[in-house]
Amino acid sequence: MSVEQHEVQDILTQYDQDRDNLIPLLQDVQERLHYLSPQALSAVAEHLQLSENDVFGVATFYAQFRFTPPGLHHIKVCEGTACHVRGSSRILDTITRTTGIEPGQTSEDGLFSLERVACFGSCALAPVVVVDDKVYGRMTSAKTQRLIEEKK
Amino acid sequence: MGSFSLIIDGQTVEVEEGATVLQAARRAGISIPTICDHKDLNPYGACRMCVVEIEGVRGYPTSCTTPAAAGMRVTTQSERLSTLRNRTLELMFSGHPNSCLVCVHREACEQHRPTATKAARSTRCGFCANREECDLRAMALSAGQPELSLPTMYAAYNLERDDPFMDRDYNLCVLCGRCWRICEKIHGKPAISIINRGKWARIGTAFNKSHVFSGCTFCGACIDICPTGTLTDRFARWQGKPEAETGSACILCPQGCAVVAQSKNQRLLAYTMPAFNRDASLCALGRFGAAQMVNSNQRTTRPQVREGEDLIPYDWDAALKAAATGLKEHAGKIAFVISATSSREERYLYAQLATALKGQMHLVPAHALPGDPTLTTIQEAIHGQGALALLMNGPLLGGVEQSRMAFSLVIDALHSDSSEQASVVLPAAMLSENSGTFRSSTGEIRQLSACSQAPGDARAEWRILRDLGQTLGLDGFSYTKVEDITRAMDNAVGEDAAPPAMTGDPRHNVRELITTYRGHQVADIVPALAAFGLPQRSMIQEESTAGSDNGFPILEKKEIVPNMHFFKIQAPQVAKFALPGQFVILMARETSERSPFTLVDWDADTGTISLVIEEVGRSSRELASLRAGDMLAHVSGPLGQAMPVEKRGTVLLGGGCYGVGAIYPLARALKQAGNRVICGIEASSSYLLYMQDELTQVSDQLILATKDGSEGVRGGVQEILVQTAEREQVDQFIAIGCTFMMRMTTELSRGLNIPTLVALNPIMVDGTGMCGACRVSIGGDTLFACIDGPLFDGHAVDWDELASRRSAYAPQEIQALSQGVDLSALMHQAHGPTDTHQCGCGR
Repeated sequence: MSVEQHEVQDILTQYDQDRDNLIPLLQDVQERLHYLSPQALSAVAEHLQLSENDVFGVATFYAQFRFTPPGLHHIKVCEGTACHVRGSSRILDTITRTTGIEPGQTSEDGLFSLERVACFGSCALAPVVVVDDKVYGRMTSAKTQRLIEEKK
Repeated sequence: MGSFSLIIDGQTVEVEEGATVLQAARRAGISIPTICDHKDLNPYGACRMCVVEIEGVRGYPTSCTTPAAAGMRVTTQSERLSTLRNRTLELMFSGHPNSCLVCVHREACEQHRPTATKAARSTRCGFCANREECDLRAMALSAGQPELSLPTMYAAYNLERDDPFMDRDYNLCVLCGRCWRICEKIHGKPAISIINRGKWARIGTAFNKSHVFSGCTFCGACIDICPTGTLTDRFARWQGKPEAETGSACILCPQGCAVVAQSKNQRLLAYTMPAFNRDASLCALGRFGAAQMVNSNQRTTRPQVREGEDLIPYDWDAALKAAATGLKEHAGKIAFVISATSSREERYLYAQLATALKGQMHLVPAHALPGDPTLTTIQEAIHGQGALALLMNGPLLGGVEQSRMAFSLVIDALHSDSSEQASVVLPAAMLSENSGTFRSSTGEIRQLSACSQAPGDARAEWRILRDLGQTLGLDGFSYTKVEDITRAMDNAVGEDAAPPAMTGDPRHNVRELITTYRGHQVADIVPALAAFGLPQRSMIQEESTAGSDNGFPILEKKEIVPNMHFFKIQAPQVAKFALPGQFVILMARETSERSPFTLVDWDADTGTISLVIEEVGRSSRELASLRAGDMLAHVSGPLGQAMPVEKRGTVLLGGGCYGVGAIYPLARALKQAGNRVICGIEASSSYLLYMQDELTQVSDQLILATKDGSEGVRGGVQEILVQTAEREQVDQFIAIGCTFMMRMTTELSRGLNIPTLVALNPIMVDGTGMCGACRVSIGGDTLFACIDGPLFDGHAVDWDELASRRSAYAPQEIQALSQGVDLSALMHQAHGPTDTHQCGCGR
C-alpha cells in the first residue's frame, strides 16, 4: 500500500458507511492530499458503497475540490464582478499564455497550478491575483507576466 | 389505499393515493408535455415542461413531482403556462443544435438533400441519426414553425467514441437525466452521472474514463431511453427508425435472454431489453453484438461442395444430394457435434438424423474453449467410435480432428476454417432469422420469432435438416413448418435437456462475456469486443496497423469546426503541378476506398497541400481518425480540369460545408486575375463557419449566411446570390458545396441570367476516366466529373440524375460504417476533469 493509500485508509476508518459522510470525507482527503486523486476518490466510493461516477459528480459540483495535484505555486485569479469589470479575463489569458495551463490544471514541470475564484473581498484592489496566499492587487498583463517570471 | 378526486381543467378526476398531478391528468386524458418524465423512472422534475397552475399554490409547480391531493384545482393550459413552456423549450434548444427547425430552406432540403450524409456530430436535425425518434424535435414541430430567438450555444464537447459500441454526442444533451437514472435503476451503481455544474454540467464518468472502465455493462438502456440523439448505437445509428419490434430470445449463450428485436426492411437493427429493469437486462454481446453478427460480411451465403482442392458453389438440391451421399456412405461411423446454442427443434432433428444414421450425438457447451475437458471427452469418444464422418454446426472441433475424417459436413451461418476444410458446406440462418423454441440453461422454454431475412441462399437450420432427412429418404422428416417440430417434441416421451449453464453473468459484468458462438470467436466477427479482452485472431489487429510506415506524411490535422477536418499533407508532386479547381484522391491505407477531395491550398516550395475533409461516411471517418504524424497510403493528383482563370468582372463564389475551403484557391486566382471577388459562405449556425480570415484576404468582400440567422444573412448562398445581384452586376457565379445548395443556387442564377459554374461531387472511384462511376449528364452529353470536371456549367446539369446516382449506394454506405475504424484518435485526450472545453471546434 502506498503512503497515499495509507493516508486515505486512515481517514476512511474515521467515518461510518453512510452516504451523508461523503462531503466531509472528500474534504478530509483533500486536506491531506491537497487534491482528490482517482485512487482516493475510488476508495471513498467503495467505502460508502457508492458509484465512483456519482462521487465524482458530487465532487465536481463544488468549486472547492480539485483533481490535479497543486503546483509549487498556486495561482488564484479573481473573476468577481469588480475584477471582471477591470479586466480579469485578460489577466487569466496572460497566465494561461505564460504558464501553458488552463484553470484546474497544473503545469507539466509542477511549478504552477491555476484556479478561478469568485471573489476575495479585495475589490478595491481589482483586478486581484493571489499567489500562494499572497494578494497582488491592481494587476496588469505586464505585472502578471513579471510576477510569474519571478516565481519561475 | 384510498382514492380521492381533484379537478383538472374543470374535469373531476378520481385517483388513487400516491398519484402525481401528471398521472392524474393523464388518467383523465389530458396531455401535458414532458421530456424528463418516463414511465419506468421516478419523477425527477428536471425539464420543467410539465408545469401547471394549482389554486392556492404559489408559482408553477412541476406536475410530475407534485402529489395530487383531494380537492386540488389544477389548470394545465393557459397563456402564461404556454409562454413558460415555450421559453423552457427555447432554453433547451439553445443548447441543442436546432438550425433545421428554423431554416427557411427546410422543406426543399428535406426533398433534395443527399441521403447519404452520415455526419460524425449532429450539428442539425438534417445530420442527426435520431431525427425520427427525437422527443425534442417532435415537440418543436408539433407547435408549427417554432420561434427560437436564443442563439445556439454549441458546447463543443468531444464526440465520445472511446468504447466499442456507442457514439455519445453530449452537444445534443438537454440534461433530462433519463440515462443515468435508468442506469442507477437497473444496475444500482450508475456507470454515468451528472458531473460539473452550471453551464458545464453534463453527463460523464469519473475522471472522464471510457465506459469500458466506468462500470458500464453495455446493456444499452441509456440509448433506448434517451429522448434526443445524444446516445446512439454506432452500428444501428444510421439505419433509421425501426419498423418492427418482435419479441424473441437471444441464443448467443445458454441464458437465452428475452429480447425485443428491432428490425427494418427484414434486417436486424438491434436486440433491446423487453423492459427497463434489472431482470430484463441484456449483455453487451446480445445488445450490440447480435445485429453486427447477423449482418456480418463473414456470413456463409451459398451451399458449397468440395471438388478436389476447391469448394465449388452448388445449388441447394445438388449440395443436399452431395451431403446425403457422404453421410449415407459412412452411416454408423458419423459423429454429430452440435452446439448447445442450437434451438430445441434443431437439436431434435439432429438427434433424429443421428438415430437414423446410427451416429453419435455430442453436445458442445456454449462456453467450451479449445482444451476444455468436455471437448477432450468428445474427441476421445469420437476416436473410440472410429468415426469416419463428421457433421458440425460450427467450427466446434479442432482442424486436426476434422482432417482425419473421410467426410465432413458443416452447417453454419458464418465462415470458418472448418467450413474451409469441409466436404460440404450448407449456409444456415442465425439468431433473429430463426423461429422455434429454445430451452435456457435454467430450463425455461423461450419462443424464438424470426424478424429478419437470412442473406443469399442461407436457410433456417431446421429446413436444412428436414431437407437432408428427405434427401436421405428417411421417415419422419415431413415437417412443413417449425411449429410441427415443436409439436412433435411436445408429444415425444421425455423432456429435452437444458444446455449446460455458463459460469459468470455477462449481463452484470462485461468481463464475463461469452467468447465463442458455436465455435467462432465472437471478437473475430465483432472486432470491437477486443476492448474487453476477448480473444481474436491476430490477423485483424495486424491489418489495422499495417501500411503506416510509408506514404504521405500528415503534417497538420485538426477539426476546425465540427465535422470539418483540416489536413496539411506532404505531397510534393501534387503541390508542384496543382491548379485552382483541381482535386486529389486519397487512400488512408492500402486497403481503403479511394475518395476525392478538392485542393484548398498548396505550396510548391515546401511540397505541401491542404485539404478540408468533411466527415460524412466510412472513408472520410477513416481519414478523420488519422493524426498529425500518421501517413496516408496514397495521394493521387492533381486531378481534374483546372478552372479557367480570366478577367470576368465581378465573380461571386458560394461555398457551403467543405466548399467553404474549396472556393479559397479559386477566389485567390480570380482576384489575382483582376476580378472583383465576392465570397459568400453558408453554415447552419455561426459556430460552423470557418476560414473567414483566409477568405477575407483573397476577396473584395466576404458575406456570411447562417440558416438560423446567428451570424450574417439569414439563409444560405441562395440569399447571398439574390441580395448581391440586387446590389450589383454579377458576371460569374461559382458554387461549391452540397448538391442541394448547388442545385438551388443554379436555379436562381438561371433566372438572374448569371453564368454559373458548379463543382460536381458524384461518387468517384479511380479519378482517371476509367470506371465511369462519376458519369454526369451536362446538356445532354455524358461526361466524367473526374476528367471533364469537376467544374461544369450549372445550368446544363441534370440534377435529378446526379442526386439519384449519389444515393445509389446509400444502404451499402451505412453497412460499411460498422467496419472497424480505430476511432481513438478522434477522442481528444482529457487533461483534467474541469477541462471540458477541449474539442476541435477550432474557435
